[in-house]
Amino acid sequence: MRRGLWGAGALALLLAGSAGPLAGQQSHLLVIGGLGGEPEYSEAFHAWGTALVDAARTRYGLPASNIVYLAERPERDPSRIRARSTRENVEQAFRDLAARAAPGDEVLVVLIGHGSFEAGEARFNLPGRDLTAADFARLLGLLSAQKVAFVNTASASGPFVEALSGRNRVIVAATKTGAERNATRFGRYLVEALTGEGADTDKDGRVSLLEAFEYARREVARSYEAENRLLTEHAVLDDDGDGVGSAEPGRAGSDGSLARTFFLRGGTGEVVLEAADPELRALLERRRSLEARIEALKAERARMDAERYEAELEKLLLELARTNQAIRRQEGSKP
Amino acid sequence: MRRDPRDGFWRSSAAGRGLDRRLLAAWAALALAVGSPAACGAQSPGGGEAALRAGRYEEAIEALASRARSGGDVLARRGLVRALMEVGRYEEAEREARRFVAEDSTSPELANALGEVLYLRGKREEAEAAFRRAAGRGRDGLRAELNLAILRFERGERDSALAAFDRFIDVYNESDRPLTSEELTAVATAVRYLGAEDPQLFKDALRAYDEAIAADPGNLEARVLLGELFLEKYNGADARATFEEALKLNPNHPRALLGLARALDFANERGAVEQVEKALAVNPNLVPARVFLARLRLAGEEYAEAEAEVERALEVNPASLEALALLAAIRHLRGDRAGFEALERRALALNPRAADFYNEVAELSVQHRRYREAVEFARRAVALDVRSWRGHGILGINQLRVGAIDAGRASLETAFRGDPYNVWIKNTLDLLDTFSRYRTVRTARFELVIREDEADLLAPYMAELAEEAYDRLAERYGYRPATPIRLEVFPSHADFSVRSVGLTGLGALGVSFGTVLAMDSPSARERGEFNWGSTLWHEVAHAFHLGMTDHRVPRWLTEGLAVHEERRARRGWGQDVSPDFLIAYREGRLPPASRLNNGFVRPSYPEQVIFSYVMASLVVEMIEQERGFPAIAAMLRAYREGRSTEEVLRSVLGTDPESFDRAFDRYLRRRFAGPLAALEGGPSGEFGAELAAGRALLEQGKLDAAAARFERAKSLFPEYAGKDSPYRYLATIYKERGDLRRAAAELEQLTALDESAYDANLELASLLEATGDLAGAARALERVVYIDPFEIPLHTRLAELYSRLGERAKAVRERRAVVALNPVDRAEALYQLARALLEAGDRAAARREVLRALEIAPNYEAAQELLLELTGNAGHSSLIRNGGGAAGRGGAELGTDAGAPLHALALAGAGLAPATGEADARAGTAQPSGSRRNP
Repeated sequence: MRRGLWGAGALALLLAGSAGPLAGQQSHLLVIGGLGGEPEYSEAFHAWGTALVDAARTRYGLPASNIVYLAERPERDPSRIRARSTRENVEQAFRDLAARAAPGDEVLVVLIGHGSFEAGEARFNLPGRDLTAADFARLLGLLSAQKVAFVNTASASGPFVEALSGRNRVIVAATKTGAERNATRFGRYLVEALTGEGADTDKDGRVSLLEAFEYARREVARSYEAENRLLTEHAVLDDDGDGVGSAEPGRAGSDGSLARTFFLRGGTGEVVLEAADPELRALLERRRSLEARIEALKAERARMDAERYEAELEKLLLELARTNQAIRRQEGSKP
Repeated sequence: MRRDPRDGFWRSSAAGRGLDRRLLAAWAALALAVGSPAACGAQSPGGGEAALRAGRYEEAIEALASRARSGGDVLARRGLVRALMEVGRYEEAEREARRFVAEDSTSPELANALGEVLYLRGKREEAEAAFRRAAGRGRDGLRAELNLAILRFERGERDSALAAFDRFIDVYNESDRPLTSEELTAVATAVRYLGAEDPQLFKDALRAYDEAIAADPGNLEARVLLGELFLEKYNGADARATFEEALKLNPNHPRALLGLARALDFANERGAVEQVEKALAVNPNLVPARVFLARLRLAGEEYAEAEAEVERALEVNPASLEALALLAAIRHLRGDRAGFEALERRALALNPRAADFYNEVAELSVQHRRYREAVEFARRAVALDVRSWRGHGILGINQLRVGAIDAGRASLETAFRGDPYNVWIKNTLDLLDTFSRYRTVRTARFELVIREDEADLLAPYMAELAEEAYDRLAERYGYRPATPIRLEVFPSHADFSVRSVGLTGLGALGVSFGTVLAMDSPSARERGEFNWGSTLWHEVAHAFHLGMTDHRVPRWLTEGLAVHEERRARRGWGQDVSPDFLIAYREGRLPPASRLNNGFVRPSYPEQVIFSYVMASLVVEMIEQERGFPAIAAMLRAYREGRSTEEVLRSVLGTDPESFDRAFDRYLRRRFAGPLAALEGGPSGEFGAELAAGRALLEQGKLDAAAARFERAKSLFPEYAGKDSPYRYLATIYKERGDLRRAAAELEQLTALDESAYDANLELASLLEATGDLAGAARALERVVYIDPFEIPLHTRLAELYSRLGERAKAVRERRAVVALNPVDRAEALYQLARALLEAGDRAAARREVLRALEIAPNYEAAQELLLELTGNAGHSSLIRNGGGAAGRGGAELGTDAGAPLHALALAGAGLAPATGEADARAGTAQPSGSRRNP
């Protein structure tokens, strides 16, 4: 359930401080569906791609012009699929995107399909000629002014991390290495995270790329466990530009700080960073302060007596709850 | 961690330091005991020898006797003695040997041959004298020296024996000529004894045996000794291959046949009895074969038959320590203390350091589930000989079985240092290393040892069920096993198997050592393979039966009772009566009721064990129905007094085995008259035909006609709940027709028969919920929990149902389960738990859980509202409905403590508390096992 989506989302964005988007920023989504090889996979890839682009439009409010879906067989769904996912069309899509996206915009590229790794080269399998990791590195170079998240959900996608890693980029691969060649489940759960309920773990009303990654990673593991099968895919995320993916980003000293602030969002300037009302501004300031104190307290937890920690935490959380109530009242969004 | 990777005794890993200083050793493989193998060195076998090597014994004896009579052919005479020995004609062999020695008193070969036959007859002093005359002289001089050293070793003169064995290394290293095959065999055997001091030397023994075989591929003695070394070092595969190679050369070789029997038994394969009987057919006086056969009889709890075998062995060789130990074990198991002590004195007189006497008794005690006694015997073994690694191993394994975990580990570490090839010990030590990742959760009567990542989820359910089982069984049996009962739950079936038998591959789901139980976690198996609830109940039931009888209950009865108790515990639990079982029974492929033990301990086909569980439960059912439960209690008391099954049948049930068998036969045929008739003709019988017709009609879309067929099939065999059960088809058909109630009724019947029907229970829950039967839906989902509790939606669904039903405590339990499953959206799960707790009236716990939710997601609006509500700060109406009367009870059951830290809350729901350490070693009531087979 998504309680108070607008209110909570807006609040969280405000709380995000400098991590939040600047007014005027837009999100762009490019989904590339690869070769299925077998009907079962073709169906699944198309279903995931469709779900993702639909959610981008209806749930996240991206304008249709900011969404591009290339797939194996455009004829099966012409209203959604812009063109066949050939090498040429993919390259054109990147060029179009580079022309359309403004500096500072956020671009999410999602590859759904199979991959391969041979002779030291990782590929994403497309109708016709494949695109290699090096090819995508070249294409991402067209988006150097944008904040880019590149998610390869395919098998053997691990080498994409090193190839594409860079500043202001989040690179996600479904596998840790090119040797993990079995068909992956990561794409299914990543799409589930972005389209369904349950991935918004911090309850800010939105799903960050970090949350989506974490959701998918854990659900993949759970699905293998449920079937008593060995886990044959180990997703990684890199966003510090070092070319090394983390299996558990978000921890101190690990990747994840950029992915934590990467969201799909529609419109522009949806977030008000500064309130005109001085009372509201003071409340917002107080909330930021409480947030910071809670985080600081959590960081001290291991060194604190449990009871004292809990008492202080409760005190801060209560204060935060009251402050949020006051903000809502002030905003008039809730009595 | 600290275990040497030398976890297998394989030829390929024989990196050995060479025979240039240390060779190998072994504990009890005597060249002497091998009988007199036919190897005659590398020279070509002459008349008679070839027949002897090929196992044409009569031909060999005739030819060798002819040669022996015709003159002073020493090799012929020696060969004749050995041939007679090989077929067990010991008296005749001794007579001939004495005659030959009298005729040629200077021949060391004949003196050694006489010594060997005397040894086999237990005449050790005379044998020693003969060996002394032969030692160091002639072609058998080295062999005679070896025989002397073995005699010393067997008298307990360890140091002088080891010094003598050690000289064989010099013989090998310093010989200025190639050693003969027979000499290499002697060297190998000597080094094998030295291995007890330095296990690396076992590899050298292996190498020397290989060299002996290379020098003379026809040296069967070397092959047999090599096979025995492999077995001794737990390498069953190579042992078997080696014996089979020997049998290719001589298919009648008694010792090789015995070796093969042992290898089969080691691998838990069928055929051991047949092979050992073949060996005894060739050599009826082969003492190790008699003893082995007696062990097999004893395993089947056939005490009289076992005793007869071992008595025959002792008639041949009154000084056989292994025979004495086996007889002593029988005396002990029958409660004959004086008899045991007499044999003990006799054995110790032969060898004051006979640790293996106690080791043998200890192992046989284990075989009869008398673990505590095994610990005591093993203690005596290591007290006699601190280097009895076998003794330390038996001690350690059984200390673990009685719950003395730390002491057991220490004993096993000692054993492993001395014998790093013992895979049981290595596996067990490796398993113990993982125990640091387990949590011990204590309840009123149980210690649940569950791996950390599963403890929060499983402990509440297991605690609740285990306590219920204890209470209900205690009331029924009027007996309360000593507590705490330790229950170990393994997410890896391999780990469970190692805990049970030291090796992987055990087919069972659970095991009871008395008050120490072990079982597979539901995560250890594929979904639907088993029901962990019924397994737990089964193992707890064993704890009662074992305790009540001081571990004397026979296997068939404890298994039958345990399955019977499963059926009484919950509808659907317990193995169901399958068509295969009924057909097997009808075809006479199951032992009669009075000898059902054989179906468990010596199954003649793979399914027989499972069928035996079913049959045993029906036997118990019959007794209870016809004689009442007091008869069962009386039977258990009689077993405790040491009575045999026959005696129990006569004294308690007033019947004899034959009448009992007939009574059961009548009972079963009456109870399953319909199914038995419908199964006539097998798959094409009436039942099978109706099912097939129903399926065909269903495929054609003719639902009404198909339903009629399935209804008919159901009436023919209402107990059938297999994958193609009529209930499943009928449920599908009725659902298709929109008759949800009728579909649900079919699934109700199915799930009342099949304890592992995961999908059927889920479907049933949906149907019942759709028809408004929320309580029924919850019951169906509760059954799912016992099959696979690892799905979050299951617990969410149950929590919602219980919430709607007003069962607050159960709703809390289910919300805790969701949290335990560590969902991605943990804040949401904690918030829902907090809500459930508040509904249950436990505001303090609710407050703590909502704090945990907000700790993860500080701005989670709903959780903030709940926190404000809980702390009296809410500026609006309550979010939470009043929990009503059930709330107080729920809170009390949960036993939460407002002062408890957050991390303790997960356990608080079932009144559980995390333990601070491992269980101690008391568990004073070690008890027999009774493993549950995987259905």
